[in-house]
Amino acid sequence: MSVRVVLVDDHELFRAGVRSELGEIVDVVGEAGSVAEAVPLVLRLDPDVVLLDVHLPDGGGEAVIAGVAAERPGVKFLALSVSDAAEDVISVIRAGARGYVTKTISRTELTDAIARVAEGDAVFSPRLAGFVLDAFRAGEPVGADPEIEQLTPREREVLQLIARGYRYKEIAARLHLSVKTVEAHVSSVLRKLQLSSRHELTRWAHERRLI
Amino acid sequence: MTARRAPAFARSESDRVVAGVCGGLAETLGVDATLVRLVFALLALAGGAGVLLYLAFWTYGNRGRPWVAGMIAAVAAGVLLVALGLSTGSVFGLTLLVAGILIIVVRGGTMRPGGSLPVPAVALLLAGAVVFLSTHGRVTPLVAPGALAGALVLIVGPWIWQLAADRTARIRLEERANVAARVHDSVLQTLALVQRHAADPARVTALARRQERDLRRWLYGGGLEHPDGTLVDALGDAAGEIEELHGARIELAASGDVPLADEVEQLVLAAREAMTNAAKFSHADEIAVFAEIDAERIAVYIRDRGVGFEPDAVPADRHGLTDSIHGRMRRAGGNAVVTSAPGAGTEVELTLPRRPS
Repeated sequence: MSVRVVLVDDHELFRAGVRSELGEIVDVVGEAGSVAEAVPLVLRLDPDVVLLDVHLPDGGGEAVIAGVAAERPGVKFLALSVSDAAEDVISVIRAGARGYVTKTISRTELTDAIARVAEGDAVFSPRLAGFVLDAFRAGEPVGADPEIEQLTPREREVLQLIARGYRYKEIAARLHLSVKTVEAHVSSVLRKLQLSSRHELTRWAHERRLI
Repeated sequence: MTARRAPAFARSESDRVVAGVCGGLAETLGVDATLVRLVFALLALAGGAGVLLYLAFWTYGNRGRPWVAGMIAAVAAGVLLVALGLSTGSVFGLTLLVAGILIIVVRGGTMRPGGSLPVPAVALLLAGAVVFLSTHGRVTPLVAPGALAGALVLIVGPWIWQLAADRTARIRLEERANVAARVHDSVLQTLALVQRHAADPARVTALARRQERDLRRWLYGGGLEHPDGTLVDALGDAAGEIEELHGARIELAASGDVPLADEVEQLVLAAREAMTNAAKFSHADEIAVFAEIDAERIAVYIRDRGVGFEPDAVPADRHGLTDSIHGRMRRAGGNAVVTSAPGAGTEVELTLPRRPS
């Protein structure tokens, strides 16, 4: 059974492009160009995966997630953007997206990412891995739970390899782990990113660039 | 400036004794002309005020210079007041005040910035106030400087306000010009090139990616605080050029950044050489570059999934790898490690310890 996907992006051309690229592999069941259109559509269609633009005219991608998540907890979100601003990307992830890829991603990689997100895994592009490493960089944890405030050395290693362009299979081979274990590490990083209180993200976003 | 509609007054052509002023005025006011003439005659007895007033209306009626008429009328009023026994000083002051008000009423003018400032009127009003107050004996040493200061505020204030408004407008214009220049230099040029190379998808893709990188850096980059650029900016530039030259796709990720310094530039040059090698020899269509900067060191990884090679089999005189990468990193105080095997792709790892700053 193919994955049911809703596209949310305010650029019609881009939606048409993605639809024609993915049409044979996944089932594109709906399209929306704004938060106001997307929320009722996703609630009605209950798709497996929503491909979500980070920037929408009437609010960010996180507004769509916020409007849908409570009623449709099974819907997975994959953020898709041309934006390089780390704070935008991180805030969509924190709102609940299971991954982030750039719009320049190749067709096979995008299909792969959709399938992975549909199965509940996390999808980190190299760029997102770089942002996340940045967000968890050394610094004293201030939150109550150090478990979610810091990355383990293994998680850090996995993220570094993702940033360096390694795929999960290559990472597994290099670290002598199973692919499942690598996926578990990435999911754990995603969970920490969403739960952690330590990152005052706006401040981080300003200070992030230079050390 | 607001154009004021002149009251409907014209000298009478039919009912005239001297110039038709009294007749015209009577027509306008709807009273008997004789009554008007009587008032003017009485006023003329008061030091000639009536004559002056007549002159003022005549000037006004000629549609020539309403403000001249106003001045004459003010003088007429002054003469009348003197004739009624007011002291010359206070009359002079009052006259100046009335003349100032008349100028504003007749000529218009506004205190708002951008409007025309009725400078002569303001000057007259202030002078009138000073003269009037000083002849009334209630003068304190503060009156004259106060009036002067008031005049300065009235005259200079709007002007300064105007300047500030101009400055904001100018900054906005400059910003707009910058955006226009950027769009023209990069986006429009790229679009023109894309049209010319429409038949060559690899080139079009490279152009589009380079443009994307350029715009993204402009929008989100650290350019302003670091005019010389940063490591990540420089890697992005290098990646863009190599994509354009060799048609490979380069995916750049980063964690942290540093401003460019001498040895950092050497690192960029070494990374550039590694990217070029990957683009030229690996046959991979995508190259991943990751820059990781922490407190102790800078690391840049250049990785491809291409054909790979046997690092030990590279002859020592192969300039690119030996000199441009290993040599350069050594000279900069860093290190280069090349990991490759035939069929397994290549990764170049460049590291540079950070100098304590």
